[in-house]
Formats: sequence, C-alpha cells, structure tokens
Amino acid sequence: MVGRSVELKTFSSRDIAWLAFLALLVAVPFIPAIAANSFRLHVLILILLFASMSQAWNIIGGYCGQVSFGHSVFFGIGAYGAGMAVVTYGMVPWPGIVVGMILAAVVAVIISYPCFKLSGHYFAIATFAIVEIFNRVFLVWDWVGGALGLDYPIIKEGIGNLMWHQSKVGYYYIALVIFVIIFGMVRWLEGHRFGYYMRAVREGQETAESLGVNSTAVKLIAMALSAAMAALCGSFFVQYNLRVDPPMVMSLDMSMKFVLITILGGAGTLVGPLLGASVLIPLQEYSRAIWGGLGGGVDLIIFGILIILMVVKQPDGLIGIIRDVRRWLSKKRTKEEL
Amino acid sequence: MFYRFSRLMSLVACMGLLCVLFGFGYGTTPAMAQEKVIKIGTIFPLTGPVATAGQRCQAAVQTAVEIINNKHPEIKTPLADQEGILDGYKFVLVHADSQGKPDVGKAEAERLFNQEGVWAIIGSYNSAVSKPASLVAERMKRIFMCGASSSAALTQRDMNFFFRLAPTDETESVEFVEVLKWLNAKKDANIKTVGVIYENSEFGKHAAGEAKKASEAAGLKIVCDIPFSPGATNLNSEVQTLKNANPDAVLAALLGADYSLWIRTMKQMAWAPKIAISYCSGYQDPVIAKQLGPDADFFMGSTAYSPQFASLMPAVADVEKIFKEKTGGVPFDGDSIQEAVAMLVLAQAIQKAGGLDPEKVAETLHNNTWDSPLSLGGKVAFAKGGQNVKAHSVVTQLQGGEYKRIFPEDMADTQIVFPIKPWNQR
Repeated sequence: MVGRSVELKTFSSRDIAWLAFLALLVAVPFIPAIAANSFRLHVLILILLFASMSQAWNIIGGYCGQVSFGHSVFFGIGAYGAGMAVVTYGMVPWPGIVVGMILAAVVAVIISYPCFKLSGHYFAIATFAIVEIFNRVFLVWDWVGGALGLDYPIIKEGIGNLMWHQSKVGYYYIALVIFVIIFGMVRWLEGHRFGYYMRAVREGQETAESLGVNSTAVKLIAMALSAAMAALCGSFFVQYNLRVDPPMVMSLDMSMKFVLITILGGAGTLVGPLLGASVLIPLQEYSRAIWGGLGGGVDLIIFGILIILMVVKQPDGLIGIIRDVRRWLSKKRTKEEL
Repeated sequence: MFYRFSRLMSLVACMGLLCVLFGFGYGTTPAMAQEKVIKIGTIFPLTGPVATAGQRCQAAVQTAVEIINNKHPEIKTPLADQEGILDGYKFVLVHADSQGKPDVGKAEAERLFNQEGVWAIIGSYNSAVSKPASLVAERMKRIFMCGASSSAALTQRDMNFFFRLAPTDETESVEFVEVLKWLNAKKDANIKTVGVIYENSEFGKHAAGEAKKASEAAGLKIVCDIPFSPGATNLNSEVQTLKNANPDAVLAALLGADYSLWIRTMKQMAWAPKIAISYCSGYQDPVIAKQLGPDADFFMGSTAYSPQFASLMPAVADVEKIFKEKTGGVPFDGDSIQEAVAMLVLAQAIQKAGGLDPEKVAETLHNNTWDSPLSLGGKVAFAKGGQNVKAHSVVTQLQGGEYKRIFPEDMADTQIVFPIKPWNQR
C-alpha cells in the first residue's frame, strides 16, 4: 500500500505532459509535411538520438557532477559492437548491441575507478586523454577494421537487420524507443534513492560521505549506466550511417557534442538534453543545408555565433531562459491583478 | 527590466529562426522557373583540413557545366559547341559540404536526392566520404560520379551506378615500384629498402597497403611503416622514425597541409631519402608546391594534370581560363580536373542515352568509350564496378617549381634528378 502511494506520488502532472509529448512524437511520421520530407525526418531522428546521447551523459555529468569528456569512447564501443556483428561476423546487430553495452559499462568502470580519485578539472583532463588513447588504438587495430573502418553491405531491410533503405520511418521509431528508454530511466532515477545519492555527491562529496553515501560506488554505478546508454546510442548511430571508423565515433568532436548539448539545454535536468538537441541539431543541419554549399564555412560561422549568443545571454542554458520567461510572465500577471 | 526583455527577445529570435528554418522554410523542393533542367548535386569537403582542394573540385564541376550549358566554339571538348543537351536541357548544380566526414556526406547525399531532387551526384574527394555517399545513390538506383577518390576498394563493390575517373592507389603503387625498378636498372640506383608514411584514414591506409604489396612483390624490403593522424600539427616523431630506418625510397600518402609539414620537418631534421614518391593531393597541389618553394623540389608523385602538360593536352588551356576565374588564378591540378571530366562524361552519356532514365544512362556509361580531351589518355571507359580503365597518370618530379614528366620514359620531358639533393645543397 505504501509502495503504491509512493508510485502515485511520483507520477506527477509533469509526467502526464511528457506522455502527451511522447504520444505526439509517435504520431509525427503521419504528419504529411514530415512524412513527405525525409530531411525533416532525418533532423528529428538526429534530435532524438543526440538528446538520448546527452541524457546518457547527463547521468554522470549533470546529476552526479563528474564532467566527462570521454563519452565518445563508450559511444564508439557500442557502434563497433553492432558494426562488427553485422560486417565482421555476418550476424544481425542485436547481439552486438548487447555486447557493446556490457563492454562499454565494464570499460567505463575500469577506466573510471582510477580517474575518480582525481577531482575537478583533473578528472575532465584524464577523460580527454582516454578519447585520444582509444582513437589511436582503434585506428591501428586491424581486428576492428583499423583506419579503413567497417562498411555495411546492402542487406535485407527490416527490424531484424535494424536497417531500412527506402524510408526513414523505421529508424525514427527505433530512435524514439531509445529516447523513451533513456529518458524514462533518468526520470525513474530522479525519484529514486540512487538519484538523490547522485545529486548529493554532486553538491559535495565529503558532505555526502559524512551522511553515509558511498560516493565511489555511486559514481561508478552512474558511470556504468551512463556508458551503457551511450553505447546503445552508438549502436543506433552505426546502423543509421552504415559505416563506422574511429574519427566518426571516438573523437573529441563527438565527446564535445555530448557535453555541449546538455550544458546548452541545462545540465542536471530531465528536459535539458532535449532542449539542447532541439536547438543545436536543427541549427547544425539546416545551416549546413542552406549555407554549406557556399563554401568557406558560412554555416559553421553562423552556427558558432548563435551558440555564443546563447551562452552569453543565458549561461544556465535554455532551461534558464524558460524559467526567466515564466517568472517574467507570472510577475506581469501579478501586477495586472494588483 | 531591459535585461529581462533582451532575454525574452533572444528566445523569440531563436524560436523564430527555428520556425522559419524547420517548420516553414527549408525542406521542400523549390519549383524551378525553367523546366528543362537537370539538377546535379556536388558533395566536396568545402570546410575542414582539405577545404581548398574541395573548393577547387567544386569549381571544376562548375567550369564543366558552364561549358556544356553555353556555346563555346573555342573549346575543343565534346558538347562545347552547343547549348545544353537533349534539345535544350541545361544543368543546374546544387552544392553540399561534406566537411570531410562520412556521416555528413551520407546525410547530404540523401538530402540532395530527396529534397533537392538532384538527378545524380558528383563527389566526394575523400574516399571515406565517397563510400557511404555512393551507397545512398546505389540504393536509390541513381548515378554517382566520383572524380578523385583513389581507394581501390570503391570500385571493388560491384556497384552498378558508381563510376570513378581517377586511377586507383593500386595502379599507382604498381607504377611507383616500376619507377624504382627502372632507376635500379638504368641508373644503378641500388634501391633495396622502402618506407611508407601515410595518414591513418581510408585513403592513406589503403594506399599504404597497396604500396607494401607492390614493393614486396618486386623484392623490395619494407623497413618502416608509419601512420599518423590526418591534420597533424607535428610530425617530428614520424620523421625521426623514418630517419632512423633510413629507407632508400619513401612512398607517401599525405593530403594538403600534412604534406607541407612532412617536407618542412624533414628539412628541419636534415634528412631526405634517395627518392620519395607521393600519391595524390599534397604533392600535386600547385598552391602547396608554391608555398614550399625550393623545398618542394626533387620530390616526386603521380600527376594526372599540371599546366606543364599543355603539349599533351592542348584542349585544357581554354577550359582552364574559365576555371581560373573561379579559383582566383589557381590552375587545375590532377584531382580537380578529374571532377570536370566526371561532369563532361556524364553529360555525354545522357546525350547518347537520349533521356534521363538513370539505368539506361548507367548502361550507356558502361558500354561506351568516351572522348575526354581533359584526360591524360584522351579516353574514358568504365569496367564492371565503375573503374575508369583508361585512367592514366605520369610520375613527375618538381624541379624549379614545375612538374616535370619523368616516367614512363616515352612521356618524359626531363631527366630525373636522383638522388634528392641534400637540403644544404639547394
């Protein structure tokens, strides 16, 4: 009975809004303006994917306060798991996805354990180095394809091979499922005891430990969860692009995207990664589509200026802007009532 | 108050921009004012470490389209003496930037076909980008013309709609080893050991693999194998490794600025092999050769075109005038000219097929030999899988800033300077 009341308590009006939003996302491919336009669907797929990736990072970076620049390694391990299952072993990608997620979690724990002894900037610097190490190793490791990478053959499309040739709708729904899994898990964590432990570690490791929280265990579990979810996103990325090589996945460029999107949207919040991806991904894709062909990086310049404007105007991210607007509107309403 | 208002304005501005871009603006194929047009997409690295090479490739396709769309009686290439093809059809180009990234190239190929409605694509310079981008075209049964990507793997995929103009790194490797054997036979060069240095990418790794295979087949010993990350800022340890191994010959696969850095680092370390031969890009880029000045001299490489080839390819001069207008005076190089050839051959095939059925045009491309005054051999013909079997390049040596033809002997215009002159004797 107590458990039931807790469940009812944690299912808030905010969750109902989320469910309504998800229902809308399910219906998106049936909207004619999007169904007839594969580029719009492509942008939506990338928004869901990058929001999920950033939410995976948010577990350790936002909620637990450990800023990692090494998540592209776990993303890459997931990508290589699925890629090798299909290209190297001629199987369906599913076993590779599971193996990739487990391996990413194990690797995350192994490399994080010594790194967590470092704090602040030193932890971030160590994770930078890990990306470079994995990038170099995968570039010269022939078993994983080395610098040549892994190129998918054209095989039968469908959910079995997790590959579609003519339409992107299949990819869209898979991206949506990943989005629901990762966002659902983080939402559950927010209300769970472990979520409070993570936030306690973020706010002050020593204080948390004085209250009986085993901060090392909390950080390692959060890192393993975060890495496994990043690997899940990586496996989708390779199935979507049908190619993987080390610079595509295990790069600082990719790691920065995990961090940038979350910080832009609002780190340590459930909606932040979605907000960040909803702004950054369309900007990136549409600016390239419209101005990329002009050459000289006009699209990248405009993209950069918009990011600078965002960061300068509101360092708390988009969630901060929304809070400000809500506050401004409620003040205005109060004034009118007076 | 003003500060809050400005924040609100920022939000409104961002949302407005998103609405324009995402909701209402971009994404639908614009109606063409003129009906008789054939849209061709181009995908090149217009930004990133090899942006200048990508921009020149784009300019080369623009040059070819200008020749086809307008009457140019002074130019001696097919279709130059008429306006458009198929009784009035003209080409319109839609450009895209791959940023040298495979996932971006693939996404742009999909956008060009699905949203821009292009009929075919020309691209993508980087072999790693050409692979996934051409896979998009193959799945949609659309033609993908590849000018300069050299990875032999591209034409080993049994594709029906993929056509590549440039020689592969496999044929170039065999040619390079022929040069070494020729030097041993004719000049008593005593070349026994080979080192390979290459960027660790699809292009470099494949080129190095072919270089090692061809060298070992000729009885030469590989004494060092040095990969490095493209876009390197320092090649000291790589050059030091080369210097320690001290191979007689070096076969190199370095793009753009990496090539300049490699040459300058060798100069700093006061070391050079007896002979160094490079695959495309860095070596044959006229801008890089000019920047390096005398330091670039006596190095060698494969070259499909340089202005010094004027006597072999007289038709290029008039075409090059248009090209130079687009590049601020920079002439064609071996890569960019292949992209112009790709466009010209595609136009000829559409004309000959008599329509715009991609399968029929692809079949026509396969079944015919095409006149190509901008190619070294003068002809283009495609084998199964799409490789141009008439692709030729000559091995040149930079002497006094000019690309001198050295090998094969019947195409040579200058004697080779062998071995490479020491840095302090230039």
